[in-house]
Amino acid sequence: MNLDRILDVLRKAHEGPVFKERDFNLNVVAATIRDKVEKYELTNTCDTDDPIGSNDDLADRVYQAGFEAAVEIGLLCSDTNRAIRFTADELQAALDEAPSEFWLGEGDNRVHFRHRDLDDPTSPVWTVPLSIAVSEDVFVPMVEGLARIPVVDCLEGPSLETVWGYPLRSGSPYEHLAGRYQADLMYEGVRRAGRVGMPMDAVGSSTTHYGLLGGYGMEGGYRPKHDLVTILSIADFWTSYESLFKLTQVHVTGGEFISASSWIMLGGYSGGPEGTAVACVAYTLLMFAVFQGSRGGVPPFDLSYMGNSGRRAQWALSVSNQAITRNTHVVYHSIANQVFGPGTKELLYETLVGMTNMAVTGVTNVVGTRSAGGRRTDHLTPLEHQFGGEVFKAAAGLSREQGNEIVKRFIPAYEDGLPTATDGRSFQELYDVEKLEPIPEWRAMYEDVKAEAIDAGLPLA
Amino acid sequence: MGTSNEYGSLRTAILEGDKDQAVAIGEDLAANAEDILEAVNVASGVIREVGDQFGAGELFLPEMVLAAEAMQAFMDEVTPRLEADAGSAQATGKVVIGTVQGDIHSIGKNIVATMLSASGYEVVDLGVNVVPMEAIEAAENTGASIIGLSALMTTSMPYQKEVVDLLDALNQRDDFWVIVGGGPVTREYAHDIGSNGWAPDAAVAVQVCDRMLALPTSPANSELIYEAAE
Repeated sequence: MNLDRILDVLRKAHEGPVFKERDFNLNVVAATIRDKVEKYELTNTCDTDDPIGSNDDLADRVYQAGFEAAVEIGLLCSDTNRAIRFTADELQAALDEAPSEFWLGEGDNRVHFRHRDLDDPTSPVWTVPLSIAVSEDVFVPMVEGLARIPVVDCLEGPSLETVWGYPLRSGSPYEHLAGRYQADLMYEGVRRAGRVGMPMDAVGSSTTHYGLLGGYGMEGGYRPKHDLVTILSIADFWTSYESLFKLTQVHVTGGEFISASSWIMLGGYSGGPEGTAVACVAYTLLMFAVFQGSRGGVPPFDLSYMGNSGRRAQWALSVSNQAITRNTHVVYHSIANQVFGPGTKELLYETLVGMTNMAVTGVTNVVGTRSAGGRRTDHLTPLEHQFGGEVFKAAAGLSREQGNEIVKRFIPAYEDGLPTATDGRSFQELYDVEKLEPIPEWRAMYEDVKAEAIDAGLPLA
Repeated sequence: MGTSNEYGSLRTAILEGDKDQAVAIGEDLAANAEDILEAVNVASGVIREVGDQFGAGELFLPEMVLAAEAMQAFMDEVTPRLEADAGSAQATGKVVIGTVQGDIHSIGKNIVATMLSASGYEVVDLGVNVVPMEAIEAAENTGASIIGLSALMTTSMPYQKEVVDLLDALNQRDDFWVIVGGGPVTREYAHDIGSNGWAPDAAVAVQVCDRMLALPTSPANSELIYEAAE
């Protein structure tokens, strides 16, 4: 980590321009994004009939708009109400300094992260699952079940609902304990799966910095030379001491790898899909600059159903991915935000659409699956993660046009149900937890959707 | 009675978030309207329309916030007249709202606060990372009858329960209605922790608050309210 850059960020967080919340959200974020959309003639460019477009000029204009917006907006630190801002030269220098490739993990389970281009056959990296809460008694079996999947490269979640039976409370000493406790459970899960050395993202159970302070960089904890630290800033151009503490913790422990991510709310302060795409680019660039991301990315999240499987969000995702991929060398990361739950075909269709989009638009690494929108404890299973990885890797090498045809075919299978998506069923209901095998009904759904994907031209084995 | 022209201008002022124009119209109607309640109903209809368009993804958060601010500015002008007109004053509630301890996500809470404010509620926004006792004391100090608690993480949800537990421990459970929401907060969870209301989105949150305040029962004896009345 570059200490001079850390100190510069902290100085900006304490000396930058001051804003009240309303003024920053409306007069800075909303106004700047609106101006850039107009300046770069992006109004009404969202084409919901073709969610994955192949318009390089459009992607480049979105990038330029996003770069300018990043310089003008900055990230507002919620603890100081000051904006961390960079000049255009500073921002470009930070992007130039970001790695285009790196390795994580150890031994046979090392993983190569490398910048991908559009329509690139380079195999992408699949990290599972998102930090969805899981009951303590099935945590290790869940990790084992996920780590057994050959197409899974890295682990992030799940997250613990309790620690030694006590509710895990954000920002409390329980979270501090959970950091190291989760590391222990994760290592046990990968040991059982025969995947020792697998890279991990720290610390899934703790969104605040306390989990990281308790579980990263000490004997038996997450490994500074082999694991990523996940820094998720607050949505829509906000950050906080919590995230900055994670940055300084990586530095003081000799760590090297940071995932710098957040979300932009489609329908929020950045407006519709065009503004959202610009904001996704702008926020991504800022996250690399503030947090020295090894990988980074900011996907959209549609407020109307709290996911990104719908047409407008898929378009914003696609064009912002293309903008970053074409105009930078960074290792780009994203998230497919499903809303249907396990045990439904809709979850698999959402996964098919989202992962195909990511693969053909140059994303190196996706973390997923957001089964049941992450709403319900234990509502995730290894099977949808297997499917997500299979699709992601099979779609790498398809053209954007081919990807678009697949996406167009499967979006109608679920889009009407997005606002009222069902939670599906739990891990315990859909799996034999001892044998770690799905029940026949869930397996049959997977086989059916896989066959449909192959029929649509996806080269799945 | 306001003229259709005035109502048209009021509608435009709210839709365009023109606070100055909303104030001017409010001043005029407060002074001259025969039935001020009719004007308020017109404005309420417009803000419901804004909320519906936001829910349908046809209008975005900045426009909704500005419309709500214009509505609030209009209401500030006409409220004294409403209160003076015996029998025509609308009963509105006061809500303290915040994102709970350990959680600094604000957008969902902001949307609910905006919708409540636009619907005539007096809203005291405590911001984010609100410790349980702070929410209770704020409700006491402001005379609020409803405590609204947002959580976007499973690890911050226990603090919603903590507010209810503290009210029980303080023998104050009947003093406040508690409504909870947020991405991972399910109806079942809201029921299990003993809250009074749950809503999947901001529009329903307003309707749930309306229903809570209309109930003849006290908070401690109320079933969970989670949807608008039939």
